Amino acid sequence: MRSIAESDPQILETLENALICEFTVISPTGRPITHPLLPLYDSDESRLYVTSSVLFSKKLDHIKKNPKVSALFSNREGIRVSPYRTVLVKGNAKVGEEDIHHGWEKLLPLWRKKEPFIDNFVKMRYALPLFWDRSIIEINPTKLYLWPRGDTDDLPKTFEVS
Amino acid sequence: MVSNDLLAKAASYTEVSLSFVDDDGYPFSIPVKVEVDREDGLVKIAKPQTLPALDGKEISLTFNHITPLPAGGYTDRRYIVLWGKLSDTADGFHLKPSKGYVWDEKEVPFFQYSEMKVSRARRYLNELNEKPWMSTPWLIMRTFRLPFIIATLLPVLIGSAIAYRAGHFDWVLLALTLSGALLMHLGANTANDYYDTHLGADGVNTTPTPFSGGSRIILYGLLPGRFVLSLASATYLLGAFIGFYLAFSRGLPVLVIGLVGFLISWGYTAPPLKLAYRGLGELGVGLGFGPILVLGSYYVQTQSFSLEALFASIPLGLLVMLILYVNEIPDRNWDDEAGKRTLVARGKDNAIVRGYETTMMIVYGIILGGALTRIFPLSTIIALLTLPLAVREKRLISGNLSNPYGLIPAMSSNIKIFLYTAILMLAGYLISFLV
Repeated sequence: MRSIAESDPQILETLENALICEFTVISPTGRPITHPLLPLYDSDESRLYVTSSVLFSKKLDHIKKNPKVSALFSNREGIRVSPYRTVLVKGNAKVGEEDIHHGWEKLLPLWRKKEPFIDNFVKMRYALPLFWDRSIIEINPTKLYLWPRGDTDDLPKTFEVS
Repeated sequence: MVSNDLLAKAASYTEVSLSFVDDDGYPFSIPVKVEVDREDGLVKIAKPQTLPALDGKEISLTFNHITPLPAGGYTDRRYIVLWGKLSDTADGFHLKPSKGYVWDEKEVPFFQYSEMKVSRARRYLNELNEKPWMSTPWLIMRTFRLPFIIATLLPVLIGSAIAYRAGHFDWVLLALTLSGALLMHLGANTANDYYDTHLGADGVNTTPTPFSGGSRIILYGLLPGRFVLSLASATYLLGAFIGFYLAFSRGLPVLVIGLVGFLISWGYTAPPLKLAYRGLGELGVGLGFGPILVLGSYYVQTQSFSLEALFASIPLGLLVMLILYVNEIPDRNWDDEAGKRTLVARGKDNAIVRGYETTMMIVYGIILGGALTRIFPLSTIIALLTLPLAVREKRLISGNLSNPYGLIPAMSSNIKIFLYTAILMLAGYLISFLV
């Protein structure tokens, strides 16, 4: 058992550079529901986050009923790493809502690295206030999959993590 | 079953992933190559060799696109999700989707997409026992729509400037007139929000802009409706106190003008008048911000009426009316749906543009005629300097009639046309005092 940081440098590089991941939750009827989201990886604490506005809160309801989630990193346009590879993170999600208005702001430094214009949008939060009431989704990984060349016909390298 | 159109759209994506619930209970996702067969309504999926047997399993296919920007961030977001039970065939996986979901920000802009989810957000916040957050200064600004008070300020100043020209002017009376008129305007803005929310016009509108679609403070749950109505009543009451004092000290006509102004202001959206819902809102606003404010301000100073003040009030009233008229364009389909039959909700595209053009010609015609016939000082002719802006404005409007967000520059510049024309008229009067 190890952390994300101890898994494989290719996984770290992917998580840190990805502009998008396909985040999947499970509905109460057992259906996988996928949302393209901006992943935020905190390399200091080896933690993976996504956030969700209350406007798009259905996924939060699903996570509260079933915390098992996954995040796929495979988008060639949105992940500028070379050589191309595919990463899948399976894990348990925890919804952080202690301060839904400002709690997510602690992730702004990570967000800013991927979307440098984010500060301008935040300054204009009065224009769309509900969008900026956000929950933090912390993904505690249980298993990582890495397809080093992105060829999913190959067996992936897998890492059990905690 | 999903529509053929949705399948056709899906066929244009290059990034596709397949998701299912794995044996360990976690979702498993993997990128796949697909081929969309629109004739048979199915998606053929090249089966990754490492996948287990998935025959009969409920899966989803996510078709996803973004375009990264060179300076960071991304644009051109769109995605489709298709659900269904997978068939494992010799030809690979086949999915005959039973359900689909699509969002393409070029078809439904992000702001509209967000507005469509407001009721979900409010439900979620209620469950958390939370209210949405906005900083107090912005909440005050948004509740009262403070930037729009310029539409009251300038007509009052011009009415008072005409009175000065006639030899009557008192600073205290000007301050009282301004305060009373501004309070009435703030009352109108808040009452308008309450009733447009209550009557459903703001709720159906998913393309609000900074200039249209209301302040949405009640709709977003930032303030309770009853509180907003109380704010409206309080501002009207304060305005009425000042109005009664001015009527008592300056004469009964002030009371009549004030009452008519209040009726227009309150009845703009409030039942039973609901002027805006009957196609009379524009006329009401033109009267209120034109003759009522200019003649009223003039009367308070002089205790008489004048033809000059009446003439000067017409272009001002029409310009403020045009602010409303243009700001109604992005709302017109929603207003129509909610039974708010504004002029633009009733008119066809050509008629809307012609209405703007004709009104502008009247505005400039009165300014020119008034200055040349010396009803106004000749120096007020400088107000015609905004004419090129009006010509450009017509183009901006006609090019964006069906594009609510594309109209934002037109709505912004239309307000500037009022602002600059009114300031130049006022400057024309000030110049006449000096020359």
